[in-house]
Amino acid sequence: MSSIDIGIAVTIILLIMVMIGMRVAFAAALAGLIGLVWIFWAKKGMAGDQFFWALTVAVKTAGQVPHSKISSQALSLIPTFILIGYLAYYAGLTKALFEAAKRWVGWLPGGLAVSTVFATAGFAAVSGASVATSAVFARVAIPEMLAVGYDKRFAAGVVAAAGTLASLIPPSAILVIYAIIVEQDVGALLLAGFLPGAFSAVIYGGLVIGLAMTFKNFGPPVGGFTWVQRFKSLPGAFPIFFVIAIIIFFVYNPFGGDAWGTPTEGGALGAFVVFLMALYRGMRWKELKSALLETAKLSVMIFTIIWGVLIYVRFLGFADLPGAFSEWIGSLEQSPMLTLIIILLAYAVLGMFMDAIGMLLLTLPVVYPAVMALNGGLDVSAADSAFGMSGVGCAIWFGIIVVKMAELCLITPPIGLNCFVVAGVRPDITVQQVFKGATPFFIADALTIAGLIAWPGIVLYLPELLLGKS
Amino acid sequence: MSGATSILVDNSALSKIDRSLHRLEEFFALIGGIAVFSLMFLAVVSVTGRHFFNSPLPGYVDWIEQAMPLIAFIGIAYCQRLGGHIRMDILIGRLKGRPLWLAEVVSCVVMLILMMLMVWGSYAHFERSFDFASPMWSRDSTLDIRLPIWPAKLLAPLAFSVLCLRLVLQIWGYGAALIRGTNDPVAVPMIEDASTVAAREAETVSGFDDDEKGSNK
Repeated sequence: MSSIDIGIAVTIILLIMVMIGMRVAFAAALAGLIGLVWIFWAKKGMAGDQFFWALTVAVKTAGQVPHSKISSQALSLIPTFILIGYLAYYAGLTKALFEAAKRWVGWLPGGLAVSTVFATAGFAAVSGASVATSAVFARVAIPEMLAVGYDKRFAAGVVAAAGTLASLIPPSAILVIYAIIVEQDVGALLLAGFLPGAFSAVIYGGLVIGLAMTFKNFGPPVGGFTWVQRFKSLPGAFPIFFVIAIIIFFVYNPFGGDAWGTPTEGGALGAFVVFLMALYRGMRWKELKSALLETAKLSVMIFTIIWGVLIYVRFLGFADLPGAFSEWIGSLEQSPMLTLIIILLAYAVLGMFMDAIGMLLLTLPVVYPAVMALNGGLDVSAADSAFGMSGVGCAIWFGIIVVKMAELCLITPPIGLNCFVVAGVRPDITVQQVFKGATPFFIADALTIAGLIAWPGIVLYLPELLLGKS
Repeated sequence: MSGATSILVDNSALSKIDRSLHRLEEFFALIGGIAVFSLMFLAVVSVTGRHFFNSPLPGYVDWIEQAMPLIAFIGIAYCQRLGGHIRMDILIGRLKGRPLWLAEVVSCVVMLILMMLMVWGSYAHFERSFDFASPMWSRDSTLDIRLPIWPAKLLAPLAFSVLCLRLVLQIWGYGAALIRGTNDPVAVPMIEDASTVAAREAETVSGFDDDEKGSNK
């Protein structure tokens, strides 16, 4: 068997293990280990007395991966962002944000729903967890919307959909993971997420207004707030803006000077402000301890997948499967754009059954090099490329689209978790009603992704400012 | 995808060992959480030092790199106990009773074999950098302030060993359920459907802000 055959065989073993319900991190590590043993043993002609030698070399190769790959400064952003998220619950930010948004934009048609979109987007960005955000806002926003006569499905759909805005607006843990797996600049990706995230929020807002104006009983406006009341509502929501702004400023200084520091420091400062706010709002050791335990648990879960997948990646390097796959993709007799769209559709299907982080980590080691090859390689210039952007630009652009794609699956059946969460919080609303209410947002998201493909400038404008400087 | 679950307890030996091991796991996980928390303070000190006192914190990056294994590995068994490592459960979630427990036993045995090999591999990685004869017992050190690296490398086999213990307990737990044919085994996490996960997710984020709770009623 050639090493590529071994690569394919082991990848099939991995897929089977994942499908039958083995925990993703360990399935990937085991596949990598099996592959390493196989490939080393094959080199010795599969001789019976050489098996133990192959096993020893493979185990020692795999054994280096966890420590050597995890000890990096960039990776420390992940637990920091997670900590911000858990602290944010205790900082009383949800009500403050919703209240502020209501006073500022409540007078619009569907005003409460527009407020929900912006408040959810802001909080989701900071908390980083779409699902939990939907749970919180189902409790905060839905009762208020129903009280002024909103359509039940509409109110529930808005909350479920707006939670998905979390993944692009900084701080975003999933973009950090993407950056590390594909070895791109973390700061550039964090920055790249900002405009598409804001763009999605504006589209959601516009859609809500449109729906409220078209259908009579969807969402009556609420008004009567004075400017004084509006400004008074801002301080409570301040930490959200602070966290988002500081992460951007620590990556890129729009006033022309150097960035203020590293993203790692920006994230940690953001966490510190949210921590102070939570203390002020009455968080004590009991709550802090539970936040720390949750942070530890979620971080370990993510890091275990990371090192597990990296063992598999180490094996893929020996088997040269990504290279072969890229060559095959590149040799297809169809336009690169069509191939890219097929890849994205495959992600949409996969995302219906898998968690976003697991899905991206498992697939990117093979898919990412192929996408780069489609565009003409990592060092290609924008002029010579298939998608009209440089190699680095393509890496960033693909990351944003894939993450947006993965989030989209949180509001599609059968396991669109955000919709289940909203229905779980509101026993009077069924899951089917939430899925129905979220459908217009699903369509809007599909159009947004099409827009990001058609105008990559929305993604690349900010990171190019950053990368152009260095 | 499954997250944390509530674990059934009773008076059996299995359940008692489970709870004792859980205390150790929780202690380890808390250390991991405190490590994240310390990174936050470290950055605050580093940034204020550099911007306001013109004296950057020496070895800032070294400390981060040393703290990462603490965060990344030490809670691994805690996460496993609570069923926190994600998996795709659309197929296995359809099984019930004995077929389910059999699948879980097989999956835990496979994981146990893997993790024992990983203990071996990661211990070998530690051993290469550890040397009683060298200064600070160390053959390698961090770039800036020369911290020895072996303690961080030792964390991986340590944490993986605790995970092996946890897996042995889970094999015992699922195995007992398989033999007895019970529907609610102790000491092991169970698969939940999306609505149960959702309900618990909703619960974890409630409870702090009483106003929010009230508005739901």
